[in-house]
Amino acid sequence: MRKPAGLRRRVVDAVGGGLVTEMRTRIEELEAAVEENRNLNLRVAELVDLVQELLIPVASQDKDKIQAALAEFQRSL
Amino acid sequence: MTAVPPEVDAVRVDDRGIWFRSPADDVVDVCFDGRRVWSFWLQRDSTSAGGGARVAEWPSALVRFLDGSTRLSLVAHVSGVTLYDEEVRLGSGDGRIAVVSPDGKPLGLDKSNRLSQTFDTRTPEQVAPLLDSIEQVLAAIHDAGVEAFLAYGTLLGAVRQGGLIGHDSDADLGYVSRHHHPLDVILESFHLQRHLGRLGYTTYRYSGIAFKVEVIEADGFRRGLDVFGGFIAEPVGDRPPMLYLMGEIGAPFELDWIYPLTTATLEGRELPVPAVPERLLEATYGPGWRVPDPAYHFETARPTVLRLNGWFRGIRVLRSEWERKHSSNRERPVPAAPSGLAQLVVDREGVPGQVIDLGAGRGGDALWFARQGAAVTALDFVPRAVEKARAVADEEGLDLTVREVNLLSLRSTLAEGARLAHAPGERVVVARHLADATVAAGRSGAWRLCEMALRDGGRLYLEFWSGGRTGRSETQLLAAVPAETVAAELAERGAVIVHREETQVESAEGQPARTLARLVAEWHR
Repeated sequence: MRKPAGLRRRVVDAVGGGLVTEMRTRIEELEAAVEENRNLNLRVAELVDLVQELLIPVASQDKDKIQAALAEFQRSL
Repeated sequence: MTAVPPEVDAVRVDDRGIWFRSPADDVVDVCFDGRRVWSFWLQRDSTSAGGGARVAEWPSALVRFLDGSTRLSLVAHVSGVTLYDEEVRLGSGDGRIAVVSPDGKPLGLDKSNRLSQTFDTRTPEQVAPLLDSIEQVLAAIHDAGVEAFLAYGTLLGAVRQGGLIGHDSDADLGYVSRHHHPLDVILESFHLQRHLGRLGYTTYRYSGIAFKVEVIEADGFRRGLDVFGGFIAEPVGDRPPMLYLMGEIGAPFELDWIYPLTTATLEGRELPVPAVPERLLEATYGPGWRVPDPAYHFETARPTVLRLNGWFRGIRVLRSEWERKHSSNRERPVPAAPSGLAQLVVDREGVPGQVIDLGAGRGGDALWFARQGAAVTALDFVPRAVEKARAVADEEGLDLTVREVNLLSLRSTLAEGARLAHAPGERVVVARHLADATVAAGRSGAWRLCEMALRDGGRLYLEFWSGGRTGRSETQLLAAVPAETVAAELAERGAVIVHREETQVESAEGQPARTLARLVAEWHR
């Protein structure tokens, strides 16, 4: 978000008692928080995908199958 | 934009571009010897040259061809009226200007000013395999339980003219998920890609919900078919349900404007399109979608860009840039001498038994370590860059394995980490110009991978620019990152820095000196 020029900012702050600056800061923080939240979708999806593809060979306790599943998983990305 | 041709006069053409006067803003085709090679908007794509004149500079992709003569005409795209038509000579060449590929195929600029074999340069016989491929990929997607349809320019061509758009160069498919949460939509796209992989297609992921399917056509041309996922976000409060379709669309929408699909004719074939295709076209190109625009630029609203970025993007930051860089230096020989960092490894611990070259690039150090007798794994997200080093290693019977790893993708990083952790033994991870080649998320993936790879002991050797230019450009892809930042990130992942040095390096004349950092880290257990 663009910051107001010095004079404008001082006038805005004088009239609003610092409220505008505080609101601006809070909006920036909120936008960052929303962005972090949205980023979780892809990260969680990647984890779920990996776990799901590997759980079956892991459940079989077969080391060769686990290795093969890992190699196959990498190839499929 | 209207069917009335724009007023254009005082046209002249030189090596810089096309000069003209015009009060109008309209889209104009530039034809060489009667064939369209470029289109531009009179005002948007030109700059003022003083005294009311304007100049549309030659797009960089075209410049290397402009050496010789041609019959240059400017044609108003919508009305087809010729505004200018003269024999011109550019550069100092004597022959005819030919905008063609190395093997002689005609090329034109698409809407993003990229050189491509646009459809207007291709015969029906050449286009037929693309249509076959569209049908094939649609069937494969259907097989995975998803109903895809023609999207973007391909849908526009089918609905507007029953055919492929001449100035377009690729075919796009889309689908709208039955899920309503971005997480489920991403998982569905992962499954879809895996399904296509099992059917034998080579795919390439762009984002959480978009990937490319590669199809090889009759003349050997590798065609990329983009598959864009989308979904309807359910209404929030009194706001309407929204369609989000990768990579440009965010609009109030109803699912029954998409499903059940209907069909439209594309080059004589009946192919699936949304139930009300006009709704999707308006959401894609705005209310003016019926008027052709070969130089169309998307102006996606900021809230849509933020949502699509936040939900789905971030796994290929800087990847196209590195792919371009490596494709331009692919033919150069692989350096035979070790880097200063490789030398530091050997000085400190002799030749390691196992070396992981993380962010191997062209694989110079990987090859050198293999020649010293180490078992080397070269990892990079542009594995083609290492091809030459691998070919040399194969010839010499060396132990050099190349694998693709994308440090921005958790799946890729964790799978590779698990694979490395599975093989026992101490090893050395070398990462030369990796920390400064990627972004913070890429470094985070790198340190995670190192922690997994070094669980049995061994060390991480890093070299990167820690002082100097912090911005990136097309030719300068390394951006300095402070050594303290990298050291703090490593500490956060449980690593201990056991060696640290920073040296000033003189740069070319007029450029400020840069600082090169070398760090050695290990994980204690």
